[in-house]
Amino acid sequence: MSNAVQHIVIVGGGTAGWLSACLLAARLPDQRITLVEAPDVPTIGVGEGTWPTMRETLATIGIPEAEFLRECDAAFKQGSRFDGWRDGSPGDSYLHPFSAPPAAEMRDMAQAWQASGQPGAFAAAITPQHAVCAANLAPRQRAMPDYAGALNYGYHLDAGKFAALLMRHGTQRLGVTRIAAHVTGINRAANGDIAALVLRGSEPLAGDLFLDCSGQAAILIAGQCGAEWINRSDISFNDRALAVQVPVEPGSPIAAQTIGTAHEAGWLWDIGLPTRRGVGCVYASRFLTDERAEDILRSYIAANVPGADVSKLIPRKLAFATGHRDRFWIGNCIAVGLSAGFIEPLEASAIVLIELSLKALAENFPQSRASMDIHAARFNDLFRYRWDRIVEFLKLHYVPSQRTEPYWQAQRAPETIPPRLAECLALWREQSPSAWDFPRVDEMFPAASQQYVLHGMGVPVPLSGKSSSSPARLAEIAAKSRALAAALPTARDYLDRLTAQAAATRIPA
Amino acid sequence: MSQHQILNPADHGQLRIHTEAGAQLGDNVMASLAMPAEFREVQAHYPIVFRRDAETGKLAALALFGFEAGENLFLNGSTWDARYRPMAHAVQPFLIGRAAEEGAPPQVHIDLANPRVSATGEGMRVFDDTGAPTPYLETLATMLGDLDYAWHESTAFFDALEAHGLVEPFSLEVTLDNGAVQSLVGFQTIHEDRLASLDGEALAALMAEGHLARIYMVLASLAQFGNLVARKNRKVALG
Repeated sequence: MSNAVQHIVIVGGGTAGWLSACLLAARLPDQRITLVEAPDVPTIGVGEGTWPTMRETLATIGIPEAEFLRECDAAFKQGSRFDGWRDGSPGDSYLHPFSAPPAAEMRDMAQAWQASGQPGAFAAAITPQHAVCAANLAPRQRAMPDYAGALNYGYHLDAGKFAALLMRHGTQRLGVTRIAAHVTGINRAANGDIAALVLRGSEPLAGDLFLDCSGQAAILIAGQCGAEWINRSDISFNDRALAVQVPVEPGSPIAAQTIGTAHEAGWLWDIGLPTRRGVGCVYASRFLTDERAEDILRSYIAANVPGADVSKLIPRKLAFATGHRDRFWIGNCIAVGLSAGFIEPLEASAIVLIELSLKALAENFPQSRASMDIHAARFNDLFRYRWDRIVEFLKLHYVPSQRTEPYWQAQRAPETIPPRLAECLALWREQSPSAWDFPRVDEMFPAASQQYVLHGMGVPVPLSGKSSSSPARLAEIAAKSRALAAALPTARDYLDRLTAQAAATRIPA
Repeated sequence: MSQHQILNPADHGQLRIHTEAGAQLGDNVMASLAMPAEFREVQAHYPIVFRRDAETGKLAALALFGFEAGENLFLNGSTWDARYRPMAHAVQPFLIGRAAEEGAPPQVHIDLANPRVSATGEGMRVFDDTGAPTPYLETLATMLGDLDYAWHESTAFFDALEAHGLVEPFSLEVTLDNGAVQSLVGFQTIHEDRLASLDGEALAALMAEGHLARIYMVLASLAQFGNLVARKNRKVALG
């Protein structure tokens, strides 16, 4: 078989590139894998929140959890908290946690919560994770097996350290070849495929399948393969971010979830790691000046990060286009990561999209060039679907808001709401979100996620005719919340203990 | 050195307890006190023997975990390989305390020198952030109450054994698979012949007081010596 796929070439050495290299090396041991990265191009390094999928990813790659946590200055992420999104009043806050009960049970519990007059936060009624997050607790105990937890969780991490760990692991333990060189062009095959990469200062690099992990530059998928850009900024307005890392005091609490705080024309992210907090102000340049955004960022840090010296901070400004390619797989080239598209990091969709792309590829891998176009068509269909769902789910965070600033009013203008989301919102007044609305394999935001945001934002739970609501289940959740809150250590104690343990084992006996 | 305090949310609001098993947590013991009230559960896992206090001459019951001081054959790393642990062992590091005045209600005390008291921020909270007892403490407090009650009512059981002369010295000598001889001396058990010769009136009295079933639980528990020897052989074989 002369056109067998035997050599995968990856362009770009950020999170997307190294995650691709490691995961494909682990899942496809017969493939030769080469990663080309420019020696002097910095990675964007702001993708610092993962989904629970990362646990399976790391286990597959073969990195022990303690090593990952230590090397990446990582912490546990159990969901996202949204402060100030409903109306900005004091106490306006809700949680979108990673744990959810089975769908039918969750619908019953939501009804019971609504019927009993909404005692407390929606997520608190549904899952013990709400209480655990509120107390800054870890989702697991150190004695548990790697990647197991009492609750569902992902991570917050230092993206630069993560890429470095994956590079070491990939090259030293998984047999990935790393080439440090600039890609200056391609040699094209007769059928239009990429035959080889032209590298500055070395021989062309031939391959059978090429992954474009070059970030927003998209040098292969857009630069060479002609993928078009689909602009989604008509729905998703934010196009700027000011990002900064703030050192934290030793022993300070580490938040159990990403905190997204609404402001007059966007929102702020706040991601807690053991040694620092990553804080960023996301905004729409149409509604907010850069200067005002910086003021908002600095006052947030002054108010929320104890001991921070705000005057010393120098935020980094990022401008981004919101949208994605019209195709992600063209010929023998696949876009993975930011080269495929970007949308504001409100639900940390960047890294999970990398994982989902690799899962789709590894589980539907073209053994030869002959099947590649079939796989490509399916892949493109699947990821167009996923981007549509992401765009709609992020928009869902804005539409029920009652904030009155011009930006927020514009966010809920009917012409900016995708038709399918508008339909769903109409349906969800009469029936709860369900698998009827989200029928695909590995839906990124299943009904439970939609319910957490909808009811967190104050949209009432539809009370259907039959009353199967179960106050007893709500009491069970309350009891489970107390038990878990008593059993789990704080994230700070867990992670400090892990570091101390590593230091102790390094001391020669 | 033990360091007893009355448990209270003001002093112990952040206190955490290691609840897993472990030699370093004080589980490396060959026996624990067992209450007659829990013989039904205890005999399903451990041999029950009696020991006579050298000074007072009073009897107490023990559940055996091993053959030598410090040997717990049920301990396997951080797990305890049995579904039930005798209450007197399971309540650690808590104990029952009483105020000086007569008839005062029992209080929950804690021994802060016990290795189960966590210094790492890991382990089970005793009080939550509002100062209310956690479900763990609620369970433990109930167990302490049960233990206190069982301890007081055990006197009648041992008195009855003495009154009917139902206790005799017990010693055990078994040859292990590797040829070594394991012996156990200094304990007491039920005098089976004497039990078999009791008349109907005596048996009726023992039964009416609830003692008879417990006596047979002790006899049944002796079958656990076979399992204990098997555990010892496995441990020796594994080096």
